[in-house]
Amino acid sequence: LRCQHYPPLRALRASAALRRVSDEHKKEPSTSSSQQQFNSHPAGHQPEQEPQGPRPSYTGQGGQESEDYESEEQLQHRILTAALEFVPEHGWTAEAIAEGAKTLGLSVAAAGMFHSDGSELILHFASECNTKLSELLEQEQKLVQLGEAEKKPTDKFLRDAVEARLRMLIPYIEKWPQALSILLLPRNIPSSLSLLTSMIDDIWHYAGDQSTDFNWYTRRAVLTGIYNTTELVMLQDSSPDFEDTWRFLENRVADAMNMSNTASQVQSTGEAVVQGLMGAAVTVSNAETSSAVR
Amino acid sequence: VYQVFESVAKKYDVMNDSMTLGIHRVWKDILIHKMNPSPGTLLLDVAGGTGDIAFRFMNYVRSVRQRQLQRKLKHLQDLSWQEIFESYQKDKFNSLGDSQVIVCDINREMLKVGKQKAQHLGYSEGLSWVLGNAEELPFDDDKFDVYTIAFGIRNVTRIDLALQEAYRVLKPGGRFLCLEFSHVSNPVLSRLYDLYSFQVIPVLGEVIAGDWKSYQYLVESIRQFPPQEELKAMIEDAGFFKVDYENLNFGIVAIHSGFKL
Repeated sequence: LRCQHYPPLRALRASAALRRVSDEHKKEPSTSSSQQQFNSHPAGHQPEQEPQGPRPSYTGQGGQESEDYESEEQLQHRILTAALEFVPEHGWTAEAIAEGAKTLGLSVAAAGMFHSDGSELILHFASECNTKLSELLEQEQKLVQLGEAEKKPTDKFLRDAVEARLRMLIPYIEKWPQALSILLLPRNIPSSLSLLTSMIDDIWHYAGDQSTDFNWYTRRAVLTGIYNTTELVMLQDSSPDFEDTWRFLENRVADAMNMSNTASQVQSTGEAVVQGLMGAAVTVSNAETSSAVR
Repeated sequence: VYQVFESVAKKYDVMNDSMTLGIHRVWKDILIHKMNPSPGTLLLDVAGGTGDIAFRFMNYVRSVRQRQLQRKLKHLQDLSWQEIFESYQKDKFNSLGDSQVIVCDINREMLKVGKQKAQHLGYSEGLSWVLGNAEELPFDDDKFDVYTIAFGIRNVTRIDLALQEAYRVLKPGGRFLCLEFSHVSNPVLSRLYDLYSFQVIPVLGEVIAGDWKSYQYLVESIRQFPPQEELKAMIEDAGFFKVDYENLNFGIVAIHSGFKL
């Protein structure tokens, strides 16, 4: 029911919080990344006049409905980014979003724009992590192309990519079981699944594996299984710097490589996927109860 | 309009219950639930006369605050007894978490009834009662986190002015919530609803409150009120973003929500 089309008059009205994209008087040139801009924004009533380019939102609309002003989506994007800082304390909840809105100088009521279970916050975080991973892999690929680095063998590449992506969870690891259970809600499954599959696709794309042992679906399913099971192991890992998790990851990737050499490859893939999902359901519920007890 | 509410004030709550068969309580609960206020929220309830919304807000915030405190105490299990005692002292007297409600109404009688109810039910801190006109609020700009108007906006002569005032007094990021009778689109239900409204309600008004005319006025004002989409457009014109509405009971009542962004 959101109104997509605003009459031209609205673009001229001074908006209280939506910032101007093109502005008249520039303050300090913002060279820092978009994540840090909100820190320099003093809580005030006037619309800030800092230069700011359009940023991609995870909904993929990249939308600016009126030309000169930041769109609602971009503002929501900023609020969610600000809210991440409060997740270790408040969990993935509307409270964290409210605190995030406060740091931007907005009323806590702005959290009402989002669903009260915090699912948008989690999806936003996951999508941000995926973007960071893509950038990382892109950079690595450039180095290889420039000849400044060696091309990694597939198993090492997969291990490093999955490890890099999972390490992004470390600051939020306490509350991550809660996030997983919210992502498994039927309402959120389409979005969370699409984020997961696009991440896996990305990794394979940069892995550039041309082997004909695997077909495309098998590769996807195998890596998804590896990622999910490693993630769950990580949630319950208390070893220093999660070394047990990385060792588990190494073994799983090695298994996957060996799988391609056997004729029962397709069957084991199916098994791996099913095991991964079953393990997911059981471990998440265990993690939830154990974290509740804690 | 003033005289209507003067005579109606004392019997207001009773009439609400009988007219809506008690469902108005559910509607108001849904409104607060949708608002999902966190402790520390400053609420302005306009045309809130007898305080229904205000009391529900207090209850909600108090229970959220309790949960917050419980969670904090769990975290404190590694501290010494002295430290736990001190933090408990600090938080014990802050059961509302600094949340506040200002109930504003144009009618002194309604406010009086509201104040009496508050005393009777035991609500003391965090409540203020202010006489004021929705078209010209006696408050500064950018002050409130949430502005609500429950079953009051149809009594405002210039709705656009009320919406502009709402926009003015809200903080950036603040939320506008409006609970009001609206348009039933389902034709079958619409006919039943009309029957009930025009035949039953004024009779109830006469029997319970001794006032046929006021309730006749009430029913007619509901019919004249703009439907959901039109009200949504008016709210957008006042400058609100992310304007949306939720129909309750097939459109008998609708909650409109907008943000000052």
